[in-house]
Amino acid sequence: MKLISAILSLVGTKFLSWSNEVGGMILLSWDILRNCVPPKLDGPETWRNLYRVGVKSFPIVVVTAMLTGAIMVIQSGMYIKEYGAYGLLGWGAGYSVLREVGPIMIGLMFSGRVGANNTAELGTMRVTDQVDALRALAIDPIAYLVMPRVLAMVVMLFLLVVIGDLTALIGGAYTGQVLLGVDAKLFAWSIVNYILLEDFTHGLIKAVAFGFAIALISCHFGMRTTGGAVGVGRAVNASVVASAIAIFVLDYFITYMDA
Amino acid sequence: MIEVRDLTKYHFGRPVLENVSFRVKEGTNLGLIGPGGAGKTLLLKIICGLVEPDSGNTFIKGQKVQGLALQELTQLRFDIGLLFQNYALFDYLNVTENIAFPLRQAGKHTNKEILKMVQESLNSVDLPHIGHQYPNELSGGMKKRVGFARAVIPKPPIVLYDDPTAGLDPVTSSKIFLFLKAMKEERGVTSITISHDIEGIRDICDSFVLLNKGKVVFYGSRDEIENTQLSLARQFWHGFSDDELG
Repeated sequence: MKLISAILSLVGTKFLSWSNEVGGMILLSWDILRNCVPPKLDGPETWRNLYRVGVKSFPIVVVTAMLTGAIMVIQSGMYIKEYGAYGLLGWGAGYSVLREVGPIMIGLMFSGRVGANNTAELGTMRVTDQVDALRALAIDPIAYLVMPRVLAMVVMLFLLVVIGDLTALIGGAYTGQVLLGVDAKLFAWSIVNYILLEDFTHGLIKAVAFGFAIALISCHFGMRTTGGAVGVGRAVNASVVASAIAIFVLDYFITYMDA
Repeated sequence: MIEVRDLTKYHFGRPVLENVSFRVKEGTNLGLIGPGGAGKTLLLKIICGLVEPDSGNTFIKGQKVQGLALQELTQLRFDIGLLFQNYALFDYLNVTENIAFPLRQAGKHTNKEILKMVQESLNSVDLPHIGHQYPNELSGGMKKRVGFARAVIPKPPIVLYDDPTAGLDPVTSSKIFLFLKAMKEERGVTSITISHDIEGIRDICDSFVLLNKGKVVFYGSRDEIENTQLSLARQFWHGFSDDELG
């Protein structure tokens, strides 16, 4: 009986905790929407975030995408060789990179680098009274801190996925030529002939959805941080885990709806 | 000017402020004293609307703070400067930008005017050459003075100081108290000052509230607290260690 009671108590506590977080995110989404009409954005803070989120993430995204493209070609290489279907290599690698692997890999990298950093920054501002200082100076922290971050993350993840897709295809073409002897022109021909525009836009829709989810989750956990340095660590951990879950759940639904 | 009426706040079911009431007249400075954990900082945050009480109200210039819409509360906060105990300077902005921040957000001045006002402000706190430095490059005393400059640069009629001399050497503490005195005498600012430095606030405050375990145990003028027979107030004022607070 005691065991059942303990299990029920644990389940109830977890349920309440999850409900609290989900409720907090819904309220934050409402605050973000409220600040969209009319748009309230701090110019310098928006530029600072666009630079920090986008430009600084560029190198890691390029490396990740390049390797992703190469891995896709290596994985499909043995079947291509077996059936001699060299003309399908570009399609095989491109289709999976543009629709799935590219947005997911870049989204996860983005969440680990930008989302975690964002939660840590907002969390530290929260526990050192900097957020209260903003409010005391008659400034709405949502308009000043959250809005520029949400905009920067959505716009920059979109652009990074575009750049990442291109880089992944270049990486795939190069690997195909070096390891499988598939001419880069044949690789490009395969992409142009078999890949549809909607394969590309499907990935971009995911990029926008992932960008908003990472922004919302990282800002939510950052703005609700309590408990000093330990609390900041806990918030970052929760933010990274929740972002990764959100990426896969959103990916499932977007793929399902487009199927 | 500032009135606190029957303020109560609970934290995890435990009362941290209980029926706190007092008034601060226009142009005067009230000293908020008491042992650590008495609820002083929380009280300041409630007064300026950063934290909601569970019951009771605060009034600023006759306007009830609790229940104000966000826009009205934002408008009210233009009239209040708050110096935080741990400075709360923005890490990513240098000293000039930190002090200029409230002016830039208000959008009433040109960049040239703002920079001039910031420099005057830095001169007034004896830190004329640190505008380009970042908060992590400053000592505790410097951060406190920068925080002070940021809190008062919009010239608010009310300023709340949360332990302005905590952890500072006696010389810097004296300078800070001189700034507070100047704010009252030259600008006619109404203020509440939290401090453990009884010697320092003795001369700059007109009245005192002693808070202990969330309750007001003394509220009166400087003369009254100097001559009180209330053992708790006497102990805190004179720093005796073998009495009720010991």
